Amino acid sequence: MRRYLLGRLWQSAVTLLLATIVVFLGVRALPGDPALALAGEDRDPESLRAIREQYGLDDSLLVQFWQFVSHAVRGDLGTSIRTGESVTGMLKSALPVTLELSFLAILIAGVIGIGAGVVAAVQRGRPAEWAANALALLGLSVPNFWLGLMAILYLSVAMGLFPASGFVPFFSDPVANLHHLVLPAFILGTGLAAVIMRQTRSSMLDALSADYIRTAEAKGLKPSAVIGRHALRNSLIVVVTIVGLQLGALISGAVVTERIFALPGFGKLTVDSVFQRDYPVIQAVVLVTATAYIVINLLVDLLYSVIDPRIRVRGEA
Amino acid sequence: MFRRTPSPLNRSSWRRTAPPAALLALVLAATACSPVESNDEQTGGDQTSSTQDVFGDAADAAQVKPGGTLTVALSADPDKLDPTLSRSLYSRYVFHTMCEKLYDLGPDAKIVPQLATALPTVAADGLSLTIPLREGVKFADGGTLDSAAVKGSIERGLTLAGSGRKSELGPISGVETPDPKTVVIKLSKPFAPLTAALADRAGMVLSPAAVSKLGANFSTAPTCVGPFKFSSRVAQNSIKVVKDPLYYDAAKVHLDAIEYRIITDSSIRSANLRSGDAQIADSLSTQDAPELQKDDSMSVLQSQSLGYQGLTINVGNAEGIGNPVKQLDTPIAKDPRVRQALEASIDRESLVKTIFNGLNTVACSPISPKSEFTSEAAQACPAHDPAKAKELLGQAGVTTPYKVEMITSNNPDSLRLAQALQAMVKEGGFELVIKPVEYASLLDQQDRGDFELLQLGWSGRVDPDANIFNFVGTGGSQNVAGYNSPDVDKLLTDARQAKDQAERIKLYGDVVTKLQQDDPLIYMYRQRNLTGVSKKVLGVQTYPDGVIRTAFAGFAK
Repeated sequence: MRRYLLGRLWQSAVTLLLATIVVFLGVRALPGDPALALAGEDRDPESLRAIREQYGLDDSLLVQFWQFVSHAVRGDLGTSIRTGESVTGMLKSALPVTLELSFLAILIAGVIGIGAGVVAAVQRGRPAEWAANALALLGLSVPNFWLGLMAILYLSVAMGLFPASGFVPFFSDPVANLHHLVLPAFILGTGLAAVIMRQTRSSMLDALSADYIRTAEAKGLKPSAVIGRHALRNSLIVVVTIVGLQLGALISGAVVTERIFALPGFGKLTVDSVFQRDYPVIQAVVLVTATAYIVINLLVDLLYSVIDPRIRVRGEA
Repeated sequence: MFRRTPSPLNRSSWRRTAPPAALLALVLAATACSPVESNDEQTGGDQTSSTQDVFGDAADAAQVKPGGTLTVALSADPDKLDPTLSRSLYSRYVFHTMCEKLYDLGPDAKIVPQLATALPTVAADGLSLTIPLREGVKFADGGTLDSAAVKGSIERGLTLAGSGRKSELGPISGVETPDPKTVVIKLSKPFAPLTAALADRAGMVLSPAAVSKLGANFSTAPTCVGPFKFSSRVAQNSIKVVKDPLYYDAAKVHLDAIEYRIITDSSIRSANLRSGDAQIADSLSTQDAPELQKDDSMSVLQSQSLGYQGLTINVGNAEGIGNPVKQLDTPIAKDPRVRQALEASIDRESLVKTIFNGLNTVACSPISPKSEFTSEAAQACPAHDPAKAKELLGQAGVTTPYKVEMITSNNPDSLRLAQALQAMVKEGGFELVIKPVEYASLLDQQDRGDFELLQLGWSGRVDPDANIFNFVGTGGSQNVAGYNSPDVDKLLTDARQAKDQAERIKLYGDVVTKLQQDDPLIYMYRQRNLTGVSKKVLGVQTYPDGVIRTAFAGFAK
């Protein structure tokens, strides 16, 4: 186990380094440099030169890369070229927003998806299944940005139910925080809800035709107990795996949702920084995302071997 | 974006009908959504009134209640909140509430004193300006404003690495402080545009204590003189300022705080305005403005900008800006007749009517008719004449259709404009190929000279020099056309050094006449600054410089 862990850690470090190099070069391959984007209308050669000098943009790529990596390992991600603020600070304020948004989206998607999936499986062949299927298809095919715009126009503008933009931190006012986040989280969760619904439905159908269900029914259990305690529980294992796999899609969906609802999250920070060619911020954002992915993957792999003894890690078998 | 919304439902009955209604609304919207509404509905009726300037009125203290937080939906994130380093228009919106300047602009685009008490006294040789300062003025950190603070701010503008103010301040040779309430600026050459520069960021006075404490990080906690002071900033998302009790005119300030919320999409901005999440939204799209004008709870402030939108033709920018120009070897670069033909094939009138709902106005020169420097020559406009265009192309010996590639920004408004142009110039014998590019790439391409034709504009400044010199003067920092004309250079330099306004007006008129012959830049239209304001707020004003003034606004009683 220890050897495996060390091996995985080594692999992760290499992956992280490669990701850093790719991002570093990729960002610099974009047309237009930060000095131009920053200077915008007011640009003149002298101030462009000064900006480039100030941020070391006129150094060679190797020097720039070394600067970035050597500072990053010490926990200093630099300052934003555009706003002059510390990148670490920017990440600290953006991350919790996206995490909360994603958590709520998963929660909402879970409730809707599992509920609709169970109904569809139990009511097989009846209008309820048909409706649930149609809803899932809609959830998968309607893009987030459109749904977001419609939600703002109808639920915020016309009916005044939810705020159209803005954010209140959870700890300063939990009610206002949820009021601001419910709508974006719902929009973000629609795609995931559809996936969960489909998965739940098919797993439930499998489970419902299994022998243990027949046994449970034969024992005289109430239908709700049969469905809830036996069929659903067994179906959820696959559903949870699917949710895990969909996390990436959720994060990319958050980019769009955050922009539409003006939420100060990670996704909005990423996109806006790319448009402004704010190199330090883009690099930091990708570095953090890559680290998160690597850590999650590592944890999942390790957890598998803990949860399911049948999954043995190499070196121990 | 479609703009029709259903009439609001009764709130109490809503609870029962909400879920099905919302679903129905979504389904209906899916089928009813139409991207562009027909023009006849929008341009009909109040066409003339829709192009009049509406600057807004100052708040009547009796009608305003004290307190409250105003939310302003901004179309772009301001850059650094440091008057010396800032470069975006949007930072000026925020600065106006927390960093006052020596001079300000009145609604008539005339310069008026702000932290100064009078316009500068210029010495007979034009080489020194004496500025009297307001007394009893405190910075947000409690320090006192005096001539030394002004001197420090101007010198910072001249010397700080990356300063955006250096070129605006011109040939300043020194700043003197004979007494605490008098500043004397010494120049090595006369420089007429200086007063206008002091009515912008170059004239903002920074707290010396904050500057010495924060240095180049001043933007993290900007401290100046203003009705409001900096409170917090969430990168890319919002900026908050709160009322400053030390402000010399604090009695006129009604609001407790102002939050600037960055919402880049124009339809979402106007949706926020209508939902009440924001009370002000800047840079409305000409597609959204007519709908808001019809809304009884909203008013749309509008002013003609001092800038322009136009087509720049690459005539000599072969090796990128900053390098010597080199005549390009294409008919449109070499022969002014081809460029004149392009200009003649553009129907500016119908362009502004059909694409911008008649809200923007026709422009044929860099000098706005609202400017003090306008003249008959400056407003002369070459007629739309496709037949003449074809004739000119024939004279130039090019075969039609003449193919030309245009790069343009990839936002919806620019694309609509590009498509209209494409259809329009076809009649004059041109085949326009549109290449949409994202903004940062567009800047890059234009500076490298990697384009044939490009569509971009300039937001405009009060002094005409700032709208012309850099763009068409030889070696100008934004002369992406690679244009060079000794005649134009001489006229512009003379205008810069002229002491008499009448003389400057005449010289700028001559510049326009010459530019219309050479056509390195075809001016097309002037944008309107369209600002949506909820009627719940009083005292919001926009001036021709495009800055929305919110500092003395308040919520209606």
